Amino acid sequence: MKNIFLSSIKICGIAKEFETKKGLLLVEGNTIVEKAVPKGIAMKGAQRGKLVELKMTVGKGVKIKEPLFFCFGLSQAKAEQFVEPKIILEEGAEINLISHCSFPVAKANRHEMNGLFEIKKGAKLNYLEYHYHGEHSGTSVFPLLKVQVAEGGVFQSEFNLVKGTVGNTEISLEVELADGASSEIQTKVLGKSAKDIVSITDKVFLLGKDSRSLIKMRSAAKNGGKVFMQGETHAKGAGALGHIDCQEVVIGQGSTAKAVPIVMVENETARVTHEASVGKINQKELETLMTRGLSEEEATELIVQAMMR
Amino acid sequence: MLKVINLTVFSKIGKKKLLDKVSFELKKGEIHCLLGKNGSGKTTLARVIMGLGDWAKVEGKINFLGKEIGRKKTFERAQLGISMAFQEPARFEGLSVEDFLLAGLRGKQKKNKYTRDKILKEALNFVDLEESILTRKIDQSLSGGERKRIELASLIVMKPKLMILDEPDASLDIIVYNEFYDLLLKIRRELGVTILLITHREEAGLVADVATLIEKGKTIASGRFRAVMRNYCQREGRQERCLLGRKGRTNN
Repeated sequence: MKNIFLSSIKICGIAKEFETKKGLLLVEGNTIVEKAVPKGIAMKGAQRGKLVELKMTVGKGVKIKEPLFFCFGLSQAKAEQFVEPKIILEEGAEINLISHCSFPVAKANRHEMNGLFEIKKGAKLNYLEYHYHGEHSGTSVFPLLKVQVAEGGVFQSEFNLVKGTVGNTEISLEVELADGASSEIQTKVLGKSAKDIVSITDKVFLLGKDSRSLIKMRSAAKNGGKVFMQGETHAKGAGALGHIDCQEVVIGQGSTAKAVPIVMVENETARVTHEASVGKINQKELETLMTRGLSEEEATELIVQAMMR
Repeated sequence: MLKVINLTVFSKIGKKKLLDKVSFELKKGEIHCLLGKNGSGKTTLARVIMGLGDWAKVEGKINFLGKEIGRKKTFERAQLGISMAFQEPARFEGLSVEDFLLAGLRGKQKKNKYTRDKILKEALNFVDLEESILTRKIDQSLSGGERKRIELASLIVMKPKLMILDEPDASLDIIVYNEFYDLLLKIRRELGVTILLITHREEAGLVADVATLIEKGKTIASGRFRAVMRNYCQREGRQERCLLGRKGRTNN
């Protein structure tokens, strides 16, 4: 493992998870540098020109508590990476997967991902994606991910881009849920300068009976940063329930935050709710911390950091 | 300790006079009640003392420990030794109780882990909360009573000279507010903190020494709690239900 990736793992606060990992996949540029997976998991990787294809299958009933750790990264200031991961969790399988995308020295980096996750009947995937795009707003990141969750399956995910800069980031996640399946998607993004532009679209299709979903989006746009977040939930299944919760904070001149919740229901027994708050920091929280001796700037920083945890 | 002299405040919208030449004095070690009906200006007065709010104009003087603090920012007043707890304490997403309490510490107290942990532990013990609460989040999962105790603990870690408590007894039932008043007496007795208690509850007489009555933004009376409370009740036309609180309680 290259030291620069280890540093960004520390910056993202996932060093402990890295230490306790059960398996590892490291892809630097278009090269699979390291691959080690535990028993019960099959993984194939292939390099096709600029593209890296991956297929990982977690066997039926295989349950692994310790995290599997994927690291996709670029160690040069000007470089590209294209990955196509396909992850299958067979019936009843359960894993925790941490995916760390690291571009620590980026000045003109481009990372594209086109992924597909299949979570079979009763399987559970806890997926954490931590990004670090360096300090120069020099990364363009375009990940697309489709997740299909079969009957009674569970997909929990957290996308985290709060350390370093954002650069130009466009993320699209689409989740389809069958009967009794559920998903909980959390997104946390912090845009820090006028060079940081981020657009995130999280879509959930509640197709099955009694399927459930929660989309929780948190962002802050500082010092000219621009953040766009779209949470969509489409309910078709009988008794399906969904909720979208979006909070965006705007700090400093020229910063922009935009939230678009889209809710569509095609079954009279289904229900989807949404709440959104976009704008200045909560005044009551700010005043409370100022009466504890924090300046307005210190109080703002603490509130934003806490929101992004 | 605190002298408010002819304090007049105009609102930003409509330039309405919210406080009109309010004057009173708070002595070291006192529990001083600000009495008055809802909308009388008690909370506005507390906020102006604390340096909070956006006003069209503020006239008059606020002296704290002999220094004029009217132009100081809220955090500067807090660092001088004034702090305030709000009627409905804020809930913070993602912030733990520990983070919240640590916000009140400065310099070496914050840097030294042993000192820091000791201060937090003592503050929690003081308000009768378990240390395990430190890892919980200051969000809706806390009960109203827990949140109010944490609010007090967060003031205690700051070791303030003056605590402004804005209706801390609101929405507490009779058993809980009796315990709460006991806690205020303990804070005064053991920590030597002066307290400005904003309330409209007569039961505050269980703990208060002195009171100031505010009505329509003006000081109506200031002096011993009983006398001011009697005045308040007379103005409200309910003398027969007044001053029941002090009976059977030692005020020390």
